[in-house]
Amino acid sequence: MSLKREDVKHLADLARLELSEDETRMAEKELDSILKYVDRLQKIDTAEVEPYAMPSKSTGWRKDEFSACDEAATELILSNFPERESGLLSVPPVFETPKK
Amino acid sequence: MKSLNELTFTEARRLLKSGDVSSVDVTKACLKQIASLNGALNVFLEVYEDEALEAADRSDARRLDGKTLGPLDGLPIALKDNILYQGRRCTSGSKILESYIAPCDATVTRKLKEGGAVILGKTNMDEFAMGSSTEYSAYGATKHPRDPERVPGGSSGGSAAAVASSMCLAALGSDTGGSIRQPAAFCGVVGLKPTYGRVSRSGLVAMASSLDQIGPLTKNVEDAATLLELLQGVDSADQTTAIEEDFTAIEREDLKGVKIGLPRQAWGNGISDGVREDTEQAIKDLESLGATITEIDLPFAEESLAVYYVLMPCEVSANLSRFDGMRYGLRMQNLPLFETYAASRAHGLGTEVKRRILLGTFALSRGYYDAYYVQAKKVQTLIKRAYESAFQEIDIIVTPTAPTTAFKIGEKTNDPLEMYLEDIFTVGANVAGLPAVSLPCGNHEGLPVGLQFIGNWFREDKLLSVAGAYEKFVAMRPRI
Repeated sequence: MSLKREDVKHLADLARLELSEDETRMAEKELDSILKYVDRLQKIDTAEVEPYAMPSKSTGWRKDEFSACDEAATELILSNFPERESGLLSVPPVFETPKK
Repeated sequence: MKSLNELTFTEARRLLKSGDVSSVDVTKACLKQIASLNGALNVFLEVYEDEALEAADRSDARRLDGKTLGPLDGLPIALKDNILYQGRRCTSGSKILESYIAPCDATVTRKLKEGGAVILGKTNMDEFAMGSSTEYSAYGATKHPRDPERVPGGSSGGSAAAVASSMCLAALGSDTGGSIRQPAAFCGVVGLKPTYGRVSRSGLVAMASSLDQIGPLTKNVEDAATLLELLQGVDSADQTTAIEEDFTAIEREDLKGVKIGLPRQAWGNGISDGVREDTEQAIKDLESLGATITEIDLPFAEESLAVYYVLMPCEVSANLSRFDGMRYGLRMQNLPLFETYAASRAHGLGTEVKRRILLGTFALSRGYYDAYYVQAKKVQTLIKRAYESAFQEIDIIVTPTAPTTAFKIGEKTNDPLEMYLEDIFTVGANVAGLPAVSLPCGNHEGLPVGLQFIGNWFREDKLLSVAGAYEKFVAMRPRI
């Protein structure tokens, strides 16, 4: 597998990452060498093999129950907001035409 | 006579018990060491001097009352900066979290506090734990305590350097592909990655959730066991924590009857001469302790690194999508929505992190998901099976921890693949979820060499008893 400049730009869009021309060129070269390395996996016959699952001893699913956090934690969460209006998170307008 | 900051847990506990020394004394000795070395080595990102002394003072008061909380009460410990400590900054080595304040404690932080440990501060790390040298920290590289021109390893390089230079008695790190064991090997300390599921990761900044595990970096095996006893256990906040018998440390003097396997795949090419010399000597030592040494075959083990460099970036790309400039961290202002995301991430994240996000995005994208992600998950099954059948014949697998000793700053930053190869012996334990520990086994040209012991799932008791017997043997051996 080999990546072209356009592929890297598309991936950067999917990942919501702004890349400079230099970064795009570097990424193209470096991703290529990493992909060449991991491509060795393609040669392994896995026709009869199941994908690895979670270890069986894990506690697994639990009920999704609401648990409140204390006031100190609430205030810390709010204070981490880049922008807020009293107890609410303020974000840029979301109703715009998607780029892709 | 050792300084107080150089003590092991056992030594410190004995002095605290005798009343000759207080927790405040030990904490002050650590803070003094940090003050004198941190400027040169860049080990701690933050030090909580006042809070640490207050915590030490409370511990001393408890001890006077006969109400000690446990074996860690009053002992100064450092946290890697991807572990949440309520009300304190948690940057995870990234600029995007420069002003992030942890709203709660990680489960391991809570357990340390409940055990009376004195938390000294936060240690430096590669950004979001992605790296093998600590050079990818947004806050500057940490320097190796023995040679400031070299790296301490990574990503828990700050924690390893802190323990090696006695800035603390022990530290916590996290290990996704070798991030506890490789820096432990480089710095000459003990580093343990527990079985996947042994320790809760709630409150650990996630890198690759199917592989991440928190563990201790300590001055000896006994201290690692003490910390694991405290940290382990089921946690409703981490569904992967296992319902499993608790780990209890056992001691043994020799290794009679212990079967040690040396995977042919690991002991082939790719080990530097110095590392080979010391680790091969260590095998002779294990043999003279009574262990049976056999060469074993671990089919697909050499594919662990490739599996890791597919699965890990996939999970990274998903886990790090939360750093979008919306709910916390850096936000670039006055841009439309898409550009706010893209610019905030571009400004807040470093080169290595971006590289892994792009790689993961690729491996999960339409048309490539089956060929990369699913194929890697299938090979992971084959690797797990290989370990399963190996552990039917043997008790412990031994390999070098890293192919080299500590390298020079800047030596590997230009070639990502070269840096990734640092993980070649350590990733297998993450891919299969096995417990593994790195121990110092010698020095080459003044730099420590690490030996890795890998145990069967949830058999940290056996793993650490074998490692402990080896450690005692090495300590008794006359120095040449």
